[in-house]
Amino acid sequence: MSLEIKICGLSTLETLDAALGAGADMVGVVFFAPSPRNVDLATARRLAGHARGVGAHARVAALTVDAEDEALAAIVEAVRPDLLQLHGRETPERVAAVRARFGLPVMKAVGIATRADLGRLGAYEGVADRLLLDAKAPKGAALPGGNGVPFDWALLSGLELRVPYMLSGGLDPSNVGAALRLARPSGVDVSSGVESAPGLKDPARIEAFIRAARAAESEAREAGTHEITGRPADPNPAGDGLPSQPDEPCVVTVLNSFRTGPDENGHFGIFGGRFVAETLMPLILDLQKAYEEAKADPAYKAEMDAGLKHYVGRPSPLYYAERFTEHLRAGAGEGLGAKVYFKREELNHTGSHKVNNVLGQILLARRMGKERIIAETGAGQHGVATATLCARYGLKCVVYMGALDVARQAPNVFRMKMLGAEVVPVEAGAKTLKDAMNEALRDWVTNVHDTFYCIGTVAGPHPYPAMVRDFQSVIGNETREQMMEAEGRLPDSLIACIGGGSNAMGLFHPFLDDPSVKIWGVEAAGHGIPSGEHAASLTGGRPGVLHGNRTYLLMDDDGQIIEAHSISAGLDYPGIGPEHAWLHDTGRATYISATDKEALAAFQLVSKLEGIIPALEPAHALAKVIELAPTLPREHLMVVNLSGRGDKDIPQVAEILGTKI
Amino acid sequence: MTTRLATRFKACAEQGRAALVTFITAGDPDHDTSLALLKALPGAGADVIELGVPFTDPMADGPAIQAAGLRALKAGQTLAKTLAMVREFRAGEADTPVVLMGYYNPIYIYGVERFLKDAKEAGVDGLIVVDLPPEEDNELCLPALKAGLDFIRLATPTTDDRRLPAVLANTAGFVYYVSITGITGAATPDADVVGQAVARIKRHTGLPVAVGFGVKTPAQAAAIAAGADGVVVGSALIDALRGSLDAGERATPATVPAVTGLVSALAEAVRGVARAAAE
Repeated sequence: MSLEIKICGLSTLETLDAALGAGADMVGVVFFAPSPRNVDLATARRLAGHARGVGAHARVAALTVDAEDEALAAIVEAVRPDLLQLHGRETPERVAAVRARFGLPVMKAVGIATRADLGRLGAYEGVADRLLLDAKAPKGAALPGGNGVPFDWALLSGLELRVPYMLSGGLDPSNVGAALRLARPSGVDVSSGVESAPGLKDPARIEAFIRAARAAESEAREAGTHEITGRPADPNPAGDGLPSQPDEPCVVTVLNSFRTGPDENGHFGIFGGRFVAETLMPLILDLQKAYEEAKADPAYKAEMDAGLKHYVGRPSPLYYAERFTEHLRAGAGEGLGAKVYFKREELNHTGSHKVNNVLGQILLARRMGKERIIAETGAGQHGVATATLCARYGLKCVVYMGALDVARQAPNVFRMKMLGAEVVPVEAGAKTLKDAMNEALRDWVTNVHDTFYCIGTVAGPHPYPAMVRDFQSVIGNETREQMMEAEGRLPDSLIACIGGGSNAMGLFHPFLDDPSVKIWGVEAAGHGIPSGEHAASLTGGRPGVLHGNRTYLLMDDDGQIIEAHSISAGLDYPGIGPEHAWLHDTGRATYISATDKEALAAFQLVSKLEGIIPALEPAHALAKVIELAPTLPREHLMVVNLSGRGDKDIPQVAEILGTKI
Repeated sequence: MTTRLATRFKACAEQGRAALVTFITAGDPDHDTSLALLKALPGAGADVIELGVPFTDPMADGPAIQAAGLRALKAGQTLAKTLAMVREFRAGEADTPVVLMGYYNPIYIYGVERFLKDAKEAGVDGLIVVDLPPEEDNELCLPALKAGLDFIRLATPTTDDRRLPAVLANTAGFVYYVSITGITGAATPDADVVGQAVARIKRHTGLPVAVGFGVKTPAQAAAIAAGADGVVVGSALIDALRGSLDAGERATPATVPAVTGLVSALAEAVRGVARAAAE
């Protein structure tokens, strides 16, 4: 994700042109009378129009300080900013109210001087779309920002926020590079640092600033990672007068974050978005709002945590698969054979990772007052998890399942019915997961008034891909802690199977910004990619639009979707979550594929060696572990997501192996 | 420049009646039958033609139009062939507007710029793309308007007064009011409720408002026509077409007349409302 550069406090067309010409991503106009950069509505309107003019792509931020609704309404009306920047003492409640009232993304500025100030960020994370970390104004200063004073950027090392943040305060062309080597913001914001006198922007300095910031950015990208261990020599030229925390080693990884997506419109690069019928649009916006509010509500988090612990049975173990490891080492060269761990998601209640996400969505549906839940399912794992939680909370549940999947996943169909759900076999199209999703969307569009659509993977219209990812990230977060406990360090690689990609994204996401961790996603190659009968959208597809998002899809030259094929009903989908598409294009993750045959062999091998019968879905990941682990050093720590258990696959596998049961 | 759509809706309004908007799927059940049907529609009384672009995954459509799309795809219909059909239709018919209705992926894969150029040249007047809400206007809506094609937006019962301005902002040609929450050809709309909804939309726009989804019979069309600028009938025409096919889902000599017969009855009903109102 490229660094966003914002030039703030512009007041003339000439300086605006300089900013646009130099490649600023965002420009700011200030509405605060005491500021020398203050502009009136007419000027701001003219500047904003210019910023949006032909050939210009900068977004416009309107900066206000403790402004009332009336003033904000006038600004929104006249300037049509892309973002509201709140730079006063606005409370989290006020930020939420402004965001709700004007329907615009909000960036809240928070002053930072000491580590203690970072504690204030949490309250704004759930309500603001992004944060701006600014230096605290000196005592007695008339202006809340733009005082040209930096703070100790090293305070931000290792800072993890759930929303993107911009760095601000005392940046200028000479120090922005150093700042970017210490902190990892999604963007930088400069005002007084590119002025020749207070309020007077200097085109040459604007250009120099952007050049310096971009240079630091590409330096970081080329280096991939750049670790500075120990305290940097002089990170704090202005000084906050406080000693830094000597007991905390400062390890700073300079890398543009892969964890800040999607943007406010649900885009991961070109992927994602909200490609749905108008009937659904208001619901999707409601859902997004409800999710943002829930995220910020400690009561929701507490309910989630309790449910994950007492009902789902988390944390799931991180298990060293010793016999599997030794078996692979036996066939490997000297010093080779990675140490393989299983993340035991198959031990969750209902037998797969799906329940993590369903719990989050069902609790959200309850908050929204929805009483009817619909879901699509492929292998039936998501359907079972949804039926289970609907039973637990007394909600009506309808599950759409392709007629072919109904036939090959009979045990799960029976389980859903036992749990009180209605299972609707879908006869349209290929009668698999894609058709089930079409039918679920048709139901939703018909029953919008009382129905919540519980999507089972990191796909669909925004906010689903991000929301499902957030719920599944518990997998990666636990893995991180458990591996630190077991080995005292991070894993060297992660590997997971991918249909839509929710178990993979849940494992991967917490590690995306750890460049030492190699990431493999395994798609289903069916009868082999050259056969054309597979479900490997990244390997064998191209970008298109289906089911509410842009992503890689299997399709013909006319844009008609091609039926996927996989032995595993859970991977039998012609698309993939948009964030995976983006990770694929950016190169952060590597996507490979395993055939039906390879998966079946891994299914049998792991059953015999570990006493764990994996589902056919993670058997695809295990198949590639069999291939990769022997090529890696013995000290290499590899985590495979054992996303589901194989009980449901027994009848199908027995049939393939020619055994009558 | 006055567009064909504006001219046609204005002419209907001057006659004191609603326009009859008919939907068929391009290439259903085969290319030649579909083209013959397309050419016969204006004579049967269609004021505006919506031509469905087949797609494998029509999420907003009911069983009738889903099946029509699959029949067309099976017979080899593609977006390029659909544009060629319009070109051929346009050679003999200068006045009846043609609106392509479908989903974004085939257009995206064809290439937006190339598609807009070819559609304009073929004589297409407008586009209805179900899965492109205003939030995705940069994709196709704005380029289409720039290229001189009307981009017709769907407004639905869930589009409240707060959202309506956003939905109408870049809409041109007419507004397509979806009379029910649901898929095409499903529940039958209540004419009174629809009339109120149309009036609500007309408080926000000067564009004509056509009503569709679930209008099946001439009587229903007449009831809707009393309170709208246009009535869209689709699934019922597709059902008539399907009823005329042989056991192998192939066209028969009865296929074109089965559809045009219903179109004539619908046209008469819609015009009948005008006579009643004029007297």
